[in-house]
Amino acid sequence: MIRVNGGDHEVTVEPRVTLADFLRDHLRLTGTHLGCEHGVCGACTVLLDGQAVRACLVFAVQADGQEVTTVEGMALSGLPTPLQEAFRRHQAYQCGFCTPGFLATGEALLRSGRPLTRQNLPQLLAGNICRCTGYSRIIRAILEVAGSR
Amino acid sequence: MKVRGEATYVADIEFAGGLEAAFVRSPHASATFTLGDLRGRVFGAAQLNLLPISIGGPGLAATEWPPLAVDRVRYVGEAVAVVLAEDRYRAEDLAESVAVDYVPVETASIHEGCPDDVLFRGGHSSGEVDAELARAAHVYERTFRTARQTALPLENRGVLARRSGERLEVWTSTQVPHLARDLIARTLDLAPSQVRVITPDVGGGFGLKAHVFPEELVIAALAWRLGEPVRWLEDRRENLLASAHAHDEVIRLKVGVAADGQVRAVDAHLTADVGAYSIFPFSASLEPMTTGQTLFGPYAVPAYRFSALGIASHKCPAGAYRGVGMNAAAYATERMIDIIAGDLGLDVFELRRRNVVTEFPSRTMAGRELDSGDYRRLLTELAERAGYGRLREEQARARAEGRLVGIGVGLFNEHSGTGSTEYRARGVTAIPGNDSARVRVAADGSIDIFTSSADAGQGHARTYRLLAARELGVDPARVRVTEGDTDSCPPGSGTFVSRGPVGGFSSLVIALRQVAERDIAPGLEVTHSVDPHQVFPSGAHLAVVEVDRVGFVPRILRYIAVEDCGVVVDHDGVAGQVEGGICMGAGGVLLEQIAYGPDGQPLTTTLLDYLVPLASDAPAELELHHIESPSPRTVLGSKGVGEGGTIGAFAAVANAVADALAPLGVTLTDLPYAPSALYQAVVDGASGPLE
Repeated sequence: MIRVNGGDHEVTVEPRVTLADFLRDHLRLTGTHLGCEHGVCGACTVLLDGQAVRACLVFAVQADGQEVTTVEGMALSGLPTPLQEAFRRHQAYQCGFCTPGFLATGEALLRSGRPLTRQNLPQLLAGNICRCTGYSRIIRAILEVAGSR
Repeated sequence: MKVRGEATYVADIEFAGGLEAAFVRSPHASATFTLGDLRGRVFGAAQLNLLPISIGGPGLAATEWPPLAVDRVRYVGEAVAVVLAEDRYRAEDLAESVAVDYVPVETASIHEGCPDDVLFRGGHSSGEVDAELARAAHVYERTFRTARQTALPLENRGVLARRSGERLEVWTSTQVPHLARDLIARTLDLAPSQVRVITPDVGGGFGLKAHVFPEELVIAALAWRLGEPVRWLEDRRENLLASAHAHDEVIRLKVGVAADGQVRAVDAHLTADVGAYSIFPFSASLEPMTTGQTLFGPYAVPAYRFSALGIASHKCPAGAYRGVGMNAAAYATERMIDIIAGDLGLDVFELRRRNVVTEFPSRTMAGRELDSGDYRRLLTELAERAGYGRLREEQARARAEGRLVGIGVGLFNEHSGTGSTEYRARGVTAIPGNDSARVRVAADGSIDIFTSSADAGQGHARTYRLLAARELGVDPARVRVTEGDTDSCPPGSGTFVSRGPVGGFSSLVIALRQVAERDIAPGLEVTHSVDPHQVFPSGAHLAVVEVDRVGFVPRILRYIAVEDCGVVVDHDGVAGQVEGGICMGAGGVLLEQIAYGPDGQPLTTTLLDYLVPLASDAPAELELHHIESPSPRTVLGSKGVGEGGTIGAFAAVANAVADALAPLGVTLTDLPYAPSALYQAVVDGASGPLE
């Protein structure tokens, strides 16, 4: 049994199926993107029991009994989260391929309660690659939400 | 909406019941091979029997690239067979089980009929180079190298093909849908109208997806022949091994300078490692010719000569990566200018001011027709905005404290929007060179825009809506934009060489104006095509870098860019392109390197080996300023902006690192300026023991 974006699923999968492929192929939640499948680029980052994890490095069966939040499940009752709204306002994406992963990492950082600053945030985001923006707009968007909390 | 995960990339298209492909790739750099008995859904070149991709033309060796290798492989990662299975896991299992009998071989040449491995040979000469060099007060000779790199869009390549009756639909993550359609049709002996190429959302291109690849042809052929949907999703290892590499050039310069610092003559020899095959559509001429045409571009030099070679090797074919050979040109030129300034005891701004082109339009000695610009103003603006005098004072204080702080300047011009005349002059025949737009008024009065460009993530649609709103007075929300569908979009070249604000905008604006001149009634439709001439954006960048004395890790503390892409239509779009481009260029100087062992084995096959900039590598502070020199060659006066950030950073970041290490007696010439290379250069250059 796995809870994804608030819904429960009981599915039989091969042990080798990654959480990322399970979300994409079995549940058709294609917002979780695969950029490297070896745990570096961060595009597939999702929240697993609130922690940011790389869904390409977790087998689906390892997530048994846990709760997964993907980009599709972040918006509450259809409204974008403050972070999604900030990404849109700051144009913190171009091609959008890395965006779901950054949103998951950003959400986990915001929920962690740790102070986020212009100085420490770049290091905390170093597990996610963006090839388009040069990062400054992503940093601005996250800091704006952090500052409003 | 991309922030909600609602974008649709190739991998996201519904594909239940289709066949998933995996390629069997060579583990050898050079070998002959035989495939065993192929059973089930395993296909080699003999089964598919596809026409090779042929490249030829002036200066080019005529070569053929078979979509699946025939008898012989020329680089690690070359596809020798393809397999199909019901999911990707099983396809990869099957690919692993295919028996291939390889016999490593060392051959006299990489391609038969090309005994010296020179796939491209070109050059140009203007003015009295030898006489000027003989007369020059100072002659400087240096050899610079750029690293082998790859564009690394975050979304890998992906292709999905489906036959429907006598038509074939191909979804592919490409920047060149019409080129892909035409090559697929030719390879399968179909009429172009029988093939529909669709590009869904594309997760970044940066030039890598401006090629048509063997894999696209193979997947299309399988779907056509088998009548079943077939999909291939590249993984990152394949992307690093076997998509397209870039750069990897040796730039040998001999520069004659008068006593007052005037550059009088440049003699350049360029050698690019273009890998195992001449790539489609750009060919092996792409990197070295682009560099040759761009070297010393912003400077008025009375005599210029270059020779350019594209040499084959047992490596992945090289093609386009944002900035292409303009990065190497700006890098080598601007490093050389700083070396000369240092030798003559002139400030780096002053030496540039003395040499820049000041009259427009004008023709450079490399034969380029500069349309507009104001290079002196770029430099003045940059020095003022950066507070250059104060920066040098701060640097002096930092140096007195023993810190390695450097200031680097990069001035460049670049071409954008290459048209058919310029492509034919270079011998490139596979690119039409035009850009097209179609505007249609829908039944409810809303506007549909279709263009030949293909958004790879730059955000074309937003800019087009701005233009439609401006020209037609319509609400941008009532404008729909369709790109990357060869059935509904007019034919054209695609999206590369920063052609959007050149032929792209011009064709769209003319079509919009023709609509505006008539009654905007439902059903009205106008299509317009433009065959542009190159226009020349420019920029001046300044970077402040600190290199720590223990790990020799360079960090960009501050970055100021003044860019001139003519009239700016969409400020946010331009800022996004320049900011992202600067970060990418910084990666090109500091981090990115595809490495091979002496046996041709790739050493960088994961993102832990091939390093791209992370948030922690990006400039800590970045400022962007604009000046506008309208181009007389485009309808709006706009120029391309997709590559300038990268080109400028190749020069400014490199010069800043070199300046930081200058007190240690080090001259840097070879990219990347990675910590290990910097440390080695310091060890080699130090006159005394290191602290």
